Amino acid sequence: MTTIAPETRGPALVRRPGPHELHPVRTHRRRRALELSLAAAVPLLLVLLWQLAAVRGWIDERVYPAPSTILADGWDRAAAGDLWPDVWATLKRVLAGYAVGTAAGYLLGLLMGSLPLVRAALEPLLDALYVVPKLALLPVFLNMFGLGEGPQVALVAATVFFFVWISTMSAVMAVPDGHRDAGRVFGASPWQMFRHVLLPASLPAVLVGARIAAGVAVLVIVASEQIAATDGLGHLIFDSRALFQNDVMFIGIVCVAALGVLFSELVRFAGRLLTPWAPRDRGRGQA
Amino acid sequence: MGEPYPKLTAHDLTRTFGRGPRAVDALGPLDLAVAPGEFACLVGPSGCGKSTLLRIAAGLLRPSTGTLEIHTSSVRPAAMIFQDYGIYDWKTVQANVRFGLDVGRVPRREANARAAEWLARMGLADFAHAYPAALSGGMRQRVAIARALAVEPELLLMDEPFAALDAQLRTILQDELLEITQALRTTTLFITHSLEEAIVLGDRVFVMSARPGRIIAEHRPPFPRPRTGDVRATPEFTALKSELWDLLRKEAVPA
Repeated sequence: MTTIAPETRGPALVRRPGPHELHPVRTHRRRRALELSLAAAVPLLLVLLWQLAAVRGWIDERVYPAPSTILADGWDRAAAGDLWPDVWATLKRVLAGYAVGTAAGYLLGLLMGSLPLVRAALEPLLDALYVVPKLALLPVFLNMFGLGEGPQVALVAATVFFFVWISTMSAVMAVPDGHRDAGRVFGASPWQMFRHVLLPASLPAVLVGARIAAGVAVLVIVASEQIAATDGLGHLIFDSRALFQNDVMFIGIVCVAALGVLFSELVRFAGRLLTPWAPRDRGRGQA
Repeated sequence: MGEPYPKLTAHDLTRTFGRGPRAVDALGPLDLAVAPGEFACLVGPSGCGKSTLLRIAAGLLRPSTGTLEIHTSSVRPAAMIFQDYGIYDWKTVQANVRFGLDVGRVPRREANARAAEWLARMGLADFAHAYPAALSGGMRQRVAIARALAVEPELLLMDEPFAALDAQLRTILQDELLEITQALRTTTLFITHSLEEAIVLGDRVFVMSARPGRIIAEHRPPFPRPRTGDVRATPEFTALKSELWDLLRKEAVPA
């Protein structure tokens, strides 16, 4: 805060603390409250606008059912147990594919990041596969694994693999030489070098890749369920559109959105627990 | 030759980087002998190969020709203190200090005790469970010193450990290091830009030439051990500093 103080010696600039300095806790709390209410108010406002448009008949309610209709219908279906088999089917595929893809991508990324010969051998091949849209591989997976869960899980795994592989490889290559040198001087074995240096040094970047992959995994499974599955949220969305049950279609879409947000937030939360040294958590958990 | 064997001997040591027409001679030929328990300081202009010499001693780099010999029965006699990047952000202060012991498979109980002892000695006991991100530059470097000394190395290698610190902190850490090394008598190879640092700390000060680095002068600061940081105020200190600076200036200014 700057004001001109009328002094006998003439005007002077006075710098004094503002509200943030005088009441740091209160200002911070208000700021947080404002941010949270904005985050909630914007989507809420859009939903209200949609509701208004549906009620007033500005949009065709058969194609775009009112949010209240979707919510009521969704509630009924959830209570009757009609919704859960599809949610569960999708969730199972995502989790299985994500686990396989993350593990494989991390291992290969680690190997390729630390061993130049493995990198030289595999990088061109994987780069070529990376640019193939993974959905185009679904027919291949259908041929390999037949109908059922196999191709769906394989598709998620293949998608997740590439995200995790690339972020792990570049993270391991970006570990400063100084970190490796310190380990070598103390005589760290390859396993000790991995456990004490490469793993933690690369983990923050790997987790970013893992979080992006979590969102994309949901995206891909919904697309593939629309093409080749008899259950799951993707199937629900497409099937109900064909049956002209547009409210069910929107229930499916909302479920997918919720699933995606939950999943990637879960990965982010796990990441915070795994990397307590990262600056964003500074001051927490320390005396 | 008062000592039976030098702890560290470099003979005709050179190192070249790159190959063909773009090869750069970084170091040597260089001859050097450091006695057991001696604190040897190497001063030289930027890019003169000081760090290269240290990395060869640490086993991080091989010489192009010549040999560097460390008189020891241990496989891993050396510990190194880096200018930065040395300590790990993902380990707490205590885990950082314990790192060398963990890697050496010292039992956890004993490793914790030794780490705690060094933390106390470096005034870090209150920060044992903090992450390095919460520490100041001076404290981070104290952690690095504690980590290196916790493994009780036969040879201590220090690569401009205080270069990133401000002038006051450098002086304080120089005095702390002086006290510790005079108590331990660990053979030390210490690299620095700073003549003052070299004269305060060193039993001998070696001045290196511009690239490729050779030793062009060797001086024994005339201060008996145990000495303190007070020697900075003596006329002998100033005289030696200006004498060495005359030598170094010719090397530091590009011809």
